[in-house]
Amino acid sequence: MTSINALPRIDPRSPDGRLLPLPVSGGFPVTGEPSNTIAAAGLTKRYGDTVAVDGLTFTVSPGRVTGFLGPNGAGKSTTMRLLLGLERSDAGSATINGVPYADLPAPLTQVGAMLEAKAFHPGRSGRNHLLCLAQSHALVPERVDEVIDLVGLRGAAHRRAGTYSLGMAQRLGIAAALLGDPGVVILDEPVNGLDPEGVLWIRRLMKRLAAEGRAVLVSSHLMNEMAVTADHLLVVGRGRLLSDCPTDEFIRRHTDPGIYAATPAIARPALLEEAFLRVTAASVEYAGQ
Amino acid sequence: MTTAVPTSTASPMSLATSSLAREGRAPAARPTHVPGRADLLRGEWTKIRSVRSTTWSLLAMAVASLALTTIATSLFTARWPHLDAATRTQFRSDTVGLIFQPAASFGQVAVCVLGVLFISSEYSTGMIRSTMLAAPRRTPVLAAKAAVFAALIFAVAELVALPCFFIGSAITGKYASTSITNPTDLRAVVGFGVFMALTGLIALAVGTLVRHPAAGISLVLAWQFVVPAVLSLLPGPLGEHLSGAMPANTVVIMGSGHDADNVFSPAQGLGLLVAWTVVLMAGAWFSIRRRDV
Repeated sequence: MTSINALPRIDPRSPDGRLLPLPVSGGFPVTGEPSNTIAAAGLTKRYGDTVAVDGLTFTVSPGRVTGFLGPNGAGKSTTMRLLLGLERSDAGSATINGVPYADLPAPLTQVGAMLEAKAFHPGRSGRNHLLCLAQSHALVPERVDEVIDLVGLRGAAHRRAGTYSLGMAQRLGIAAALLGDPGVVILDEPVNGLDPEGVLWIRRLMKRLAAEGRAVLVSSHLMNEMAVTADHLLVVGRGRLLSDCPTDEFIRRHTDPGIYAATPAIARPALLEEAFLRVTAASVEYAGQ
Repeated sequence: MTTAVPTSTASPMSLATSSLAREGRAPAARPTHVPGRADLLRGEWTKIRSVRSTTWSLLAMAVASLALTTIATSLFTARWPHLDAATRTQFRSDTVGLIFQPAASFGQVAVCVLGVLFISSEYSTGMIRSTMLAAPRRTPVLAAKAAVFAALIFAVAELVALPCFFIGSAITGKYASTSITNPTDLRAVVGFGVFMALTGLIALAVGTLVRHPAAGISLVLAWQFVVPAVLSLLPGPLGEHLSGAMPANTVVIMGSGHDADNVFSPAQGLGLLVAWTVVLMAGAWFSIRRRDV
């Protein structure tokens, strides 16, 4: 079995940073609905007097990795939970392929999500965790073994998931997200706490998912990671959309022109942190003295 | 090199042989049919059979029930020579109650624990989000959980009720007669399973409302053991009736109905137990639909 780490690195971007044309997905019935797309329109969520998500409007397109950035408390996780129907919005809409999550007849075949590393019962084996999810979707057990092999958990599949390391737990979460071979993948802070090998694995996986024509939305506050992974950025602060553009454009627009010009092209991703701090300076919850 | 990317979807290395191109999409990743209620039931069945707490709880229920049947009936027959006529008559008129009621009262502890755990452990571990992502409509999820749990508990409780009945009958045989072919006794055998299954649903409902395993278990056990005892201390028929109406005291459904100490008949007991179950499950349904996970 080929492990993902052994796969050649796939870069969906051309040398100048723009997306290469990708084959149009034919895997989903053409119904006039947008395929492999996440859309939010005026999405709003309040907790008491606090506005966690404030009129967010954006589209996540297939074929690229979209980074979802913002300081702590900017509303990234809440937005993802709204997209996935785990919370109800106070206003606006969140749709996957044109349909609210709760109305998808077999949601796992259209959207795969990992919101936390350990969304499983620690007493259940990894395989049984995936099996109960697969059965709820009328997926055959062979598919469970496929995704177990895909994430490289075969040796641990029959162990109780509570014994897994963080890296293995993340792989189990990814396996669950990919069970239904979804065209949309949503990952919340997938590399947090992972060792370098795990970080690299997730990075390659996301790029490959995008190269296969899927829409990939990934939140993070690790700027260097986003700089090398994301083709496109959505930047939020205090629940509001601050920026929605390609990663390179974001860096060019929000860094000092002199520094930008003096930085070799290959090192420019390192400027993302600088650009991010500038854009979100007014939105951080606790500014240092 | 990057120009090779567009063809990667067709390469054997693409995602589990699952390019999104129609012909290339992993066949195994397609549902065999539009997922429905039966599929949810199957998933919930896998969940409950794949954790150790299920085996241990059901084993505890069986052991406690068999032990209590044996102890209660043995104690009574051992004291037989010293019992007065009135007590002997009472015992003879409701032998089946003596066989099942102590067993059910203690055997239910394990069922209560398992009922709370079955759903609250999903909340305490984060599993609930995996569940809700796979089945975003919450009413069918709760219904599937309740159906699987009640069916499992009823089946296991009946498997326990039969040996309880035969052991209890053998021990009490010298002084009283019971028979599986007697409609009253058969009703008690079925009543044991009904009591356990509905008590399990009450615990499941509390687990859904409280979400925390320890808090849910404490609450259910207090509800089943402490509250009826406290209510029975109230003076006069009020205390008797309030205490008798608590779900734990609906063990009367396993009696002959001829025990003068019982304020409610078996039929009334069944009505009360069903009413408690319906009210608490309705609360759980309201809660699971409204609250974020």
